[in-house]
Amino acid sequence: MPLINLKMSYIHKFFSYRAANTLIVFVGLILFFAFFTPRHVFVNPRNITSLSKLMPDLGIVALGVGMLMICGEFDLSVSSVLPLCAFIFISLLKVNINPSFALCITLGSGALLGLLNGIITVKGRIPSFITTLGTMMFWRGILYVGSHMWPIGLRAYLPPGSVFEHIFVGKIGGIPVQVIWFIAFAVILGIILHFHKFGNWVYATGDNKLAARAMGINTDRTKTICFIIVGVLCAFVGILQILRMETFGCTQGIGFELKAIAASVVGGTFLMGGIGSMMGIFLGAITIQILENGLILMRVPVFGISAFIGLAIVLFVILNTYIERRRTR
Amino acid sequence: MAIRRKKIYLLSMAILVGLFISWVVSPIALAVTPPDVDPEKSVEDMYFRLVTHGGDDPFWAVVHKGMLDAAKELGCKADIDLCGGDLALQQKRFREAVAMGPDGIAVVINDDTAWDKPVEDALVRGVNVIGINNDDKEGAKGNARICYIGQSERRAGLMVARRLFEKAKELGWDLTKAHVAMPVEVPGAMYGVVRAQGVQDAMKEYGITSFEIIDAGGLEASTVEARETSYLLGHPETTFMIGLGGICTDRITDSLKATGYGPGEILGGGFDCAPGTLTGLKEEYMVATIDQQQYLQGYLGVYVLYLMKKYGFAPNIDTGGYLVDKETLARVVEELSPLHIR
Repeated sequence: MPLINLKMSYIHKFFSYRAANTLIVFVGLILFFAFFTPRHVFVNPRNITSLSKLMPDLGIVALGVGMLMICGEFDLSVSSVLPLCAFIFISLLKVNINPSFALCITLGSGALLGLLNGIITVKGRIPSFITTLGTMMFWRGILYVGSHMWPIGLRAYLPPGSVFEHIFVGKIGGIPVQVIWFIAFAVILGIILHFHKFGNWVYATGDNKLAARAMGINTDRTKTICFIIVGVLCAFVGILQILRMETFGCTQGIGFELKAIAASVVGGTFLMGGIGSMMGIFLGAITIQILENGLILMRVPVFGISAFIGLAIVLFVILNTYIERRRTR
Repeated sequence: MAIRRKKIYLLSMAILVGLFISWVVSPIALAVTPPDVDPEKSVEDMYFRLVTHGGDDPFWAVVHKGMLDAAKELGCKADIDLCGGDLALQQKRFREAVAMGPDGIAVVINDDTAWDKPVEDALVRGVNVIGINNDDKEGAKGNARICYIGQSERRAGLMVARRLFEKAKELGWDLTKAHVAMPVEVPGAMYGVVRAQGVQDAMKEYGITSFEIIDAGGLEASTVEARETSYLLGHPETTFMIGLGGICTDRITDSLKATGYGPGEILGGGFDCAPGTLTGLKEEYMVATIDQQQYLQGYLGVYVLYLMKKYGFAPNIDTGGYLVDKETLARVVEELSPLHIR
């Protein structure tokens, strides 16, 4: 009897985690695709390697965007900040700046662009949706003027096989390094969000800004730091993409702004802020990508694949809302 | 009196016949509207506009450069609109441009019906309008634009597909069992639809029946690569992958590598000369790509509008269909690509 109670307690505890439903769906999808894709191609090492190489692009951006959403804000400018930072990086390489130094400057630029979003939002007291919509268009315009939309090949400025490249897009034991970066960022941001006082500030700011202020939390600073984190992560992904594709293209990151929000929502993050978890966002980012991958592998007509993904997002939101209602009842 | 009545009767009949003939031939007359010519106007005072559906990709950067180079050489002014595939926005920009009263507009006719009236209205207002990059499926019969500069998309699709299928025949492949995958960035966009028709024309010639057009998920390269890779893994029957746009073609090589195919195991081909495509040609993952020489669409667009305003010239120019393979790659493309001309 006590054993049953203990088991029930574990099950109850498991379901009390916000990411539990995402985890269940995630595991369910993996099992479903593993069993039902022709020749079990979903678990083919080539497919797993390919997913591990490509998923972190959106995943890393989604980690930052999700954290910002928990804080009660949005960032639509990621699709412009990412290619702009990538352009800064390749431009620095063109003028013979050391790649490591170029990396630092690029990450700093990302932070600066995030800071700008934060300052405009909190000091201007305007919705971040509008701020970042404006900066998305502004930075994209600047990018067009600066780059003339021309692709810039990497190999003229960084020879293949450099240590720098291996650190970001190499392989360790056959595993693409990108996925290790993705996990590392998720762990670091997870620790900050769930085990550091800054995480409490993020939740409090997103849940009830006025109450958070009354508790002495500097909500403006909290939001601005979250915007900076998004900017840095975008810059990082911009560099990853250049190193992987060996070229800069100004279409990098297009559409990431909505996909990152979708990934966060699938991971249980509420659009109104205050609710969400890093594990959920991490799983959400993977889930929407394996859903696409699995459906194509199952030979679903690729022409209509977006319909399935859209449907999945809506179902996830309905599920999350239902579970949250039951939890707070 | 009788003679006078007869004269009035004949005159009336002549007027009626004249009205009837003008009514009958008016659509024809509209289709061949003569350009607005002003030989006295100084080139420095001329202003031309390119209204395109293009987006933020390298293809349109080259068109833009062609336009700028021509404007610089002539000493006139020219602007380009890039509407990112938004037809409503493109039409709005077109009407705004017409309202400015420029000396000529080059428009991408990316819809068979949506551009009929705007172009007719502009011509009525005395603004010369030519088509670039994409034309009405029926050409001058379908749209009143004065002339067209660009490639025949259907012919281009046919050419690249023929080249791939011919290569497969050389390798001794059984084409009756072949499967053609055609990823496209913007499903339903005219360029993809017409190019796919060209590929299908070639498929009929070679007895290939199996094909699929793939929604590659937009312009973002990681998404395109992920979808192409998943497709290749899930469809091992694929023998040809033909990208219908520049970004889809660019990502084919990396997708083939990711799925473990070696050069020549699946034949790749497509459009434009993006860096990944050139690498694929060198490494023989790609057999051929069509260079539509889009620099000429911007460059000649401005020149033709200038010559039209000055002398009334209205030439139709086919810029495309230049097949690039491993042999022609170094000589033609690699020298000009760094200059952003191809």
